[in-house]
Amino acid sequence: MTAALQGLYRPTSVEEAVALLSSDESAKPLAGGATLVAMLNARVLEPQALVSLSRIPEIQGISALPDGSLRIGAFTRHAATASSDLLRGAARVVRHAASQIANETVRHMGTIGGSIAFADPGLDYPPALVAAEAVVEVASATGRRKVPARAFFVDWYVTALAPGEIVTAVFLPPPRSGAAGLYVKHARVSGDYATASVAACTFGDGRIGVAVGACGPTPLADDDANGWLSEDAGDAGIARASARLVELADPLDDVRGSADYRRQLIPGLVARAVRSLQAQLKEGR
Amino acid sequence: MTAALMNIVLRVNGEDAAVPAGLHDTLLTVLRDRLQLTAAKRGCNQGVCGACTVRIDGTTMRSCLSLAQACEGSEVTTLEGLETSPRLKALQAAFAAHGAFQCGFCTPGLLVSAEALLEDEPRPDEAAVRKALSGHLCRCTGYAKIIQAVQAAARSLSEVGK
Repeated sequence: MTAALQGLYRPTSVEEAVALLSSDESAKPLAGGATLVAMLNARVLEPQALVSLSRIPEIQGISALPDGSLRIGAFTRHAATASSDLLRGAARVVRHAASQIANETVRHMGTIGGSIAFADPGLDYPPALVAAEAVVEVASATGRRKVPARAFFVDWYVTALAPGEIVTAVFLPPPRSGAAGLYVKHARVSGDYATASVAACTFGDGRIGVAVGACGPTPLADDDANGWLSEDAGDAGIARASARLVELADPLDDVRGSADYRRQLIPGLVARAVRSLQAQLKEGR
Repeated sequence: MTAALMNIVLRVNGEDAAVPAGLHDTLLTVLRDRLQLTAAKRGCNQGVCGACTVRIDGTTMRSCLSLAQACEGSEVTTLEGLETSPRLKALQAAFAAHGAFQCGFCTPGLLVSAEALLEDEPRPDEAAVRKALSGHLCRCTGYAKIIQAVQAAARSLSEVGK
């Protein structure tokens, strides 16, 4: 260990940032500030050093890679994600979720990396990334690794990030014809955290994937439920998949709704999401 | 214990201001408590209420969620800095004419966001106004008069432009 860090650091590369963070595990990475600065204001955290990620070009913006897959840099603000035409097909779910986060001013600030590293179960990105079969790239002083979104979210506010590791990008599969994605959110008022939400994708190969948000420690997805929806996206398939998801849900009672109320929301949200997917495909959007 | 104060230079409303700031000090704290720019209000201090909204490099942001030291090198515009904007003048007149405030605590933040909206979209429909102002809490008015005032300001500006 080198000497403890003090103050604000503004590295210009991922390697420099993770070297700083690994030299002093009490230093915190700062992205858009929408979560971390709120925690500083509440004195939940009082780090002596912050490593700002705002000057690292590599982690900014959305791009299509040569194989057609999509890369969202970790520092991409919600407003940019919410308006990106690159996020088509199943990846549309991520764009749609971004457009429903908080409000316009907070969307100018918050970033996808900061959001998922916080991993509040009520956030909009986690179920969207799980439904879209996203992969999260993380970096540490010893290199980079890729973690499927489903494995990235581990428990309440716990992710697969090790101390000193940061999110660098989110990868999404190539958009295919016949693919679609959308996000249905039930909240007390526009801009609140979800009381419950459902992200749904169809991948153009007959498969449908859904993930439920705010109904347990991590986004809730189930291979059987997705299999049943893929075989039958009509009323019977929706009912069968919803019943399984309700059974697996582990929501909390809180100010946004009781655990029981959240369970009761799931079937309606799944039905709305799956039927809207079909409508989106028909319209050819 | 927070880290020691550092002397930073912030560019606020077109002028450089040398000011001390600790690592955890927000832009809002520095604006209000050290530069006496008190239009931005400290409401929730959690980014929810919108009363502290300013522009950073042209984009509306929460000054309570922006660390002062991280704003070095950026252009900060507060409501005070919009004083000469014709859009602001029209909005102020329309807010007064429509009774779009009672206690007035949320008004500076609303004006910053509404002024930015009218710059991007000179004739916003009601849905666009609602979207642009959705991050602002007002506990007095019920919002209807605020939305009417923003649309009235847009109309008066387009008439001036004719």
